[in-house]
Amino acid sequence: MTTIEAIIHYAYFVMAGIIGLLLLKGLFKREKRQGLVYDIVYAYCIIPFLLRVLYIK
Amino acid sequence: MTVAKKQILLKVICLVLALVLAAIAGVSFYDQRHYKETVVVSDALTEVRWLSDYVPMLKGTYGDTPIFIFDSGVEGGSVLYCGGTHPYEPATSLSAFILMENIQVEKGKVFVIPQCSYSATTLGVQGNAYPSYYTIETEWGEQKYKIGERNTNPLDQWPDNFTYINYPSGQSQAYNDLRNLNRCYPGRLDGTFTERVAYAIMEVIRTENIDMSIDCHEASIMYPVVGTYVAHDDAMDIAMMAAMDLSATSFDMKIEQSPKSLKGFTHREWGDYSDTLAILMETPEPFIDRIVGPMTVDLMMTGKDLFLSFAGDKGLTYVPYTAENDHSWPMNVRVGRHLSGAAKAVYYMNMFFPEKEVIATWPSYEELVEKDCGAFLHDPSAANPDQVYKF
Repeated sequence: MTTIEAIIHYAYFVMAGIIGLLLLKGLFKREKRQGLVYDIVYAYCIIPFLLRVLYIK
Repeated sequence: MTVAKKQILLKVICLVLALVLAAIAGVSFYDQRHYKETVVVSDALTEVRWLSDYVPMLKGTYGDTPIFIFDSGVEGGSVLYCGGTHPYEPATSLSAFILMENIQVEKGKVFVIPQCSYSATTLGVQGNAYPSYYTIETEWGEQKYKIGERNTNPLDQWPDNFTYINYPSGQSQAYNDLRNLNRCYPGRLDGTFTERVAYAIMEVIRTENIDMSIDCHEASIMYPVVGTYVAHDDAMDIAMMAAMDLSATSFDMKIEQSPKSLKGFTHREWGDYSDTLAILMETPEPFIDRIVGPMTVDLMMTGKDLFLSFAGDKGLTYVPYTAENDHSWPMNVRVGRHLSGAAKAVYYMNMFFPEKEVIATWPSYEELVEKDCGAFLHDPSAANPDQVYKF
C-alpha cells in the first residue's frame, strides 16, 4: 500500500508540473480570450503549481 | 513596435511579475519548511532517540522527530510528555521545551516528544493569514519558534482522499483528518504517512512500557473541551483527582471521559492499544477562535481580542474571558497550565500506582505566571554544546 501511495504522491507532482506547463502554454499560445486580464490570471495561476513542483509549498 | 510584439511583451511582463511573487512567497515557505528550533536541554538528559529507531521507514522523512529521554537511573515508572501534535497550538511545544530545559528526575524516566507531528511544523495554516513565527523575550535575547499547521504538510502526504476511514475501527471521518495526527491513531505500518507517524508513537509507548502518556493541546475558548483533561477510562481516577486538586489550589481544570465511539484520538487509542494511562490536556488559545480579528503574533502571545471580548462578556466562552482576566490568555499562563497539569497527573499516578512512581520536577504554573516563559529558557551560545539541540 505504501508503494502505491508513493506512486500516486509523485504522480500528482508530475501532474502539477504538466498543469503548470499547460498554463504557460495558455499564457503565450491561446487563441481565445486575448485580453490582458487573462494574461494576468494565467501568469498568476502558475505560482502554486510552480511552488508545488519545486517542493516548496 | 507591432501589436503582436507588444502583446508578447505584456505576457512576458505578467510572467516575470508572477515569478517575482512566487519567489517572494517561496522564500518564506522554504524558510518555514527548513527552520530549526533550538533547545538547551537540562543536564538530566540521558539519551536522544528518534521515531525512526522504532519505525525505520520514517528515517530521512519529515515524520521523523526526536525523543528526549531523562532517566534518573532509579527504578520506577515512566511518563511520556507530547507537544506539537497540532503545531498551530504552540504552547504545547513551548511547554515541552521549557520542561526539557529545566527538568530534574529523581526516580523513573521521563520521555519528551516536543514536535510529534514534525511535518505539520513545516508550513503555516493553509488559507489563513497566520504568522509563521513567534518570539520569546529572555534576558539574553530573543528565541524564535514556529507556528505550524494542524495537519501534515501536503508535501509529505498528498493528495487527500475523498473520504477518510480510520484504521482499524472503520469509522468514517472528515476527509482532511487523514493528515491529522490526532485522528490517525493507532496507526499502521503500511498506512499513510500520518498513520505511520501515529504507529511509531504507539511503538514508543509499547516498546518502552510507558506508564502514563500525556498529549498537550490548545483549544478555542468557544469550544466546550477547553481548560480540560480528556482521559481514557483507565486514567479517569487520576485525571479526576488532578482536576479537583488543580481547581482547588491553582487554576480551574475540567475533566472529560474519552468517548468510546470517537476513534483515532490519543486519549482513546493510546489507552486501547497499549497499557499506558492516556491523558490529553487542552489550554485556552483565543488565536484559533473563529470570531477573532487580525491573527497576529500579538494575539498568539496575549490572547487579547476585541471581538472575542464581546462574546466573553456575554458568557459565551467556556473559560473566563472577562475584565477579570483582562480578556486575555497569555502564552505563559497556557504553558504553565500544561506544565502543572502534567505534574499533577504524575503526582496522582504515583498515589494510585506506587509501583509506577516517577519523581520529577519542572517549572510550575505559579512560576510561569510570576516570571514568564523567557526566564526558563537558556542561552544556546553560552551553553555546553552537548546540551544544545536544533530540530
